[in-house]
Amino acid sequence: MGQPVPRYDAAAKVTGRATYASDMPLDNPAYAFLVTSAIAKGRIDRFELDDAKRVRGVIEIVTHENAPKLKDSKLFSNGGYAGTTIQPLKSAEIAHDGQIIAVVVAESYEAAREAANRVKVSYSAAAPSATFDSPGTTTAAAKGQNSQFKEDPKVGDFAKAFDAAEVKLTASYATPTQHHNPLELFTTSCAWTGDNLVIYEGSQYVHGLKNGVAEQLGIDADKVRVVNPYVGGGFGSRGSMTPRTAIIAAMARRLNRPIKLVPTRDQGFTITTHRAETRHEIKLGASRDGRLVALRHEGAEVSSRPDAYCVGGTKTTTRLYVCPNVDSLVSIVRADRNTPGFMRSPPEVPYLFALESALDELAVELNMDPVELRRINDATRDPIDGKPYTSRSLMACFDEAAKAFGWSQRSPQPKSISDGDWLIGYGCAATCYPTLMGPSAARVRLQRDGRTRVEIAGHEIGTGAYTVIAETAAERLGVPLEKVAVFMGDSDLPPAPVAGGSNSTASTCSAVMMVCDQIRQRLFKALMPSDTLADKAKETVGISPAPSTQAAKGDRSLDIEKAFDALGVGVVEEYGEWKPEGAPLDSFRAMHNGQVRLVGGHQMKDQIAYAFGAEFVEVRVNRFTREIRCPRLVGAFAAGRIMNPRTARSQLMGGLIWGMSSALLEATEIDERNARYVNDNLADYLVPVNADVPGVEVILLSEEDDRINPLGVKGLGELGNVGTNAAICNAIYHATGQRIRKLPVRLEDIEL
Amino acid sequence: MPDKPGSRSSGFDRRAFMAGAAGSALIPITARAASEDARAPAAQDPSLPVEVTLNVNGKDKRLSIDARTTVLDALREHLKLTGSKKGCDHGQCGACTVLLDDRRVLSCLTLALAAEGQEITTIEGLATDDRLHPMQQAFIDNDAFQCGYCTPGQIMSAIACVKEGHAGSEADIREYMSGNICRCAAYPNIVAAVKQAAPEIMKG
Repeated sequence: MGQPVPRYDAAAKVTGRATYASDMPLDNPAYAFLVTSAIAKGRIDRFELDDAKRVRGVIEIVTHENAPKLKDSKLFSNGGYAGTTIQPLKSAEIAHDGQIIAVVVAESYEAAREAANRVKVSYSAAAPSATFDSPGTTTAAAKGQNSQFKEDPKVGDFAKAFDAAEVKLTASYATPTQHHNPLELFTTSCAWTGDNLVIYEGSQYVHGLKNGVAEQLGIDADKVRVVNPYVGGGFGSRGSMTPRTAIIAAMARRLNRPIKLVPTRDQGFTITTHRAETRHEIKLGASRDGRLVALRHEGAEVSSRPDAYCVGGTKTTTRLYVCPNVDSLVSIVRADRNTPGFMRSPPEVPYLFALESALDELAVELNMDPVELRRINDATRDPIDGKPYTSRSLMACFDEAAKAFGWSQRSPQPKSISDGDWLIGYGCAATCYPTLMGPSAARVRLQRDGRTRVEIAGHEIGTGAYTVIAETAAERLGVPLEKVAVFMGDSDLPPAPVAGGSNSTASTCSAVMMVCDQIRQRLFKALMPSDTLADKAKETVGISPAPSTQAAKGDRSLDIEKAFDALGVGVVEEYGEWKPEGAPLDSFRAMHNGQVRLVGGHQMKDQIAYAFGAEFVEVRVNRFTREIRCPRLVGAFAAGRIMNPRTARSQLMGGLIWGMSSALLEATEIDERNARYVNDNLADYLVPVNADVPGVEVILLSEEDDRINPLGVKGLGELGNVGTNAAICNAIYHATGQRIRKLPVRLEDIEL
Repeated sequence: MPDKPGSRSSGFDRRAFMAGAAGSALIPITARAASEDARAPAAQDPSLPVEVTLNVNGKDKRLSIDARTTVLDALREHLKLTGSKKGCDHGQCGACTVLLDDRRVLSCLTLALAAEGQEITTIEGLATDDRLHPMQQAFIDNDAFQCGYCTPGQIMSAIACVKEGHAGSEADIREYMSGNICRCAAYPNIVAAVKQAAPEIMKG
């Protein structure tokens, strides 16, 4: 494990010096305020703008009738950059509630807001389709319409095996729409200097945003720079381009003045993406001794009319446990909604809720401990393709977490534990998340006195990216940590992948490590001029490395001052591009074009790579008020080498709380008649507050995995919040005898 | 804690302001509204700049701003003190929390005009001579943040929480820190930080 050093950016964050996008100083900015649609489907007949234009300080009001023309961008999954192909301000058509229909620009925020509220809109509204079961939706298999959903995993003969199974379970589950709600609003500031555009926007992918906006504006991508050294939470919401950015950029160009947009919290619910609502049917067949003989997972997800977005979590749920007969199907339901997008552990949160709940139901059916049921079916190979897991510590996690939690004290009968008015239940579930990596570049500069500068367009969304990158460079170069400066969040820096899919640490630290080794190599070569011609010849033809190369790639320490003296220079600087094994041939080109080529998970050639964990929870249900509390969350996790146990622990702790939230709190409520969100603010969209979270325990298991990447790192940012929802419902069953299959669990769902 | 009406030194009249603001929000500018404008003090037309002096972190700052400007926007957009954050602009998230005469307030729900004559303390005003405030140090020591966006509000709230006498137990800290949302969910570490800093802050 790495060192638990405090965050690199800690001082900046506790003093208010950390500058987020809307904190960036602008020279004489104009302020933009959005007007969004009050209907979900139909068209705009007419705007009345006179009243709005009379507001003192109004500079411009843009609607589809006079908006700057922008080129379309394709969906990120189809070779584009956008999270939605619904491009506002292009026509009078309305595709979803809260679509941007006008932008007011004024001298002050207050004037822009007032004028926006004075814009009057006449619509011809049509009846929208809101969600599952709404009239007018269409449903079709994901395969064939979503280019990233390649296969419905299958193996053996499910129907026959299920038919013949000694014990059978069929159950349906549902998860709600959720919104990321990072605390930083979805702000965008755009400033032009001549032909050059600078965008200040919280982004999880500065190179993607840069290229996407350039494409929409029809300008050279090198004219666009995206800057955001700190991002106020991402959770997936800032991974792909939203329409607002190019609109504000084009308006700033037209106005020849910087424009600052600070959308409201409620606008954030409709101008970005969300986690779509899902439905699942699980069929499990098992022998009496608990061995799975048949597994089928059918999932359905809601998307927008034009975009076939889906998360398709069956790729994971069909591979988690040994089972010879597996079938699956994912469908997409199209409704009059904005296109959904990734939200923290996009496939795993809804799909493992279904599988891990069903396993608990099966354990009850079999009268078996749910931990033992998982042990019996623990896999060392992917049951679909037969590839071995690079490492898999699922049961070790179960054992550690069970011990810390006191699982052995549990009496399995429902309603068997109580404390005064409170019924107490224990539950558990597995978590897993694929290990993903993407091509990344980095530049490292080392001075004779050890001062080091690392440049990489990674993203600090709260993960500790600055910290682990600084630690990697300090360790490889053998310089004190406080001498390392890290520069990130700027598309003028060497490209790094999207901060998504928990790939950042593995990708960026691998790139930084490789470039540091290039520096070491130069310095060792200076120190070891005795490498013979034969060594060099052998190295050239790839037979064996020269001693200096060997030293650079090993752990041998380096006398930097001596090496600099030998080299006769004051600064050594190296740039390099790293890609994971199995990355496609076009990886580096795509990386520079702002396109993501993540590899890993089940898509590796000869192996399959996942991080695992086990989560145990205690719930208390009040027998009179039915209030549900979750006083204890315990998780044990194994994710390869932990770069910094301090930041890792925090992320997993936050993840566990997210998991609790997805079970008990979070849902975006939809008015099904109007296909509109009802609770689009932080008082009505429930997120956990401090009083909701009494006890969280994170256990980090050490795990060595030299098959995934040079550092042996698996991503863990999205590991903590998976399975928790199932663990909580399993605990509610234990407390009350009632099985809840639809999230979030509300008081009214509990019948006592 | 009760308001301190005596502490407002400006000629600002909340009632006159509310009448003007409500008028501008609800009815178009008509002859009637215009004639009311003529009779009333300048604050009646909210889009005309008003002069205000804000005492921020011990220094008086004179501003000419829209009367509807909140303390938060005055700090961020006019005084370039961007440490206080806008997370909802509705008093729901706590990211904008500042101290007003040592009382924690939501700066997004407080008009700049209403803060005149009171001492505003922001996150930028806590450290002295590069020495961090004990609460800032405690947040670092306990890794009490991730993305950091809610952190200025959490720290301001935490200082007030201690001074209010609400840091006596972990349960108290959790309850009295629940007005500040941390979406990264660093809550257990925030509780640990408040616990760590409380004795030093109480010592003064």
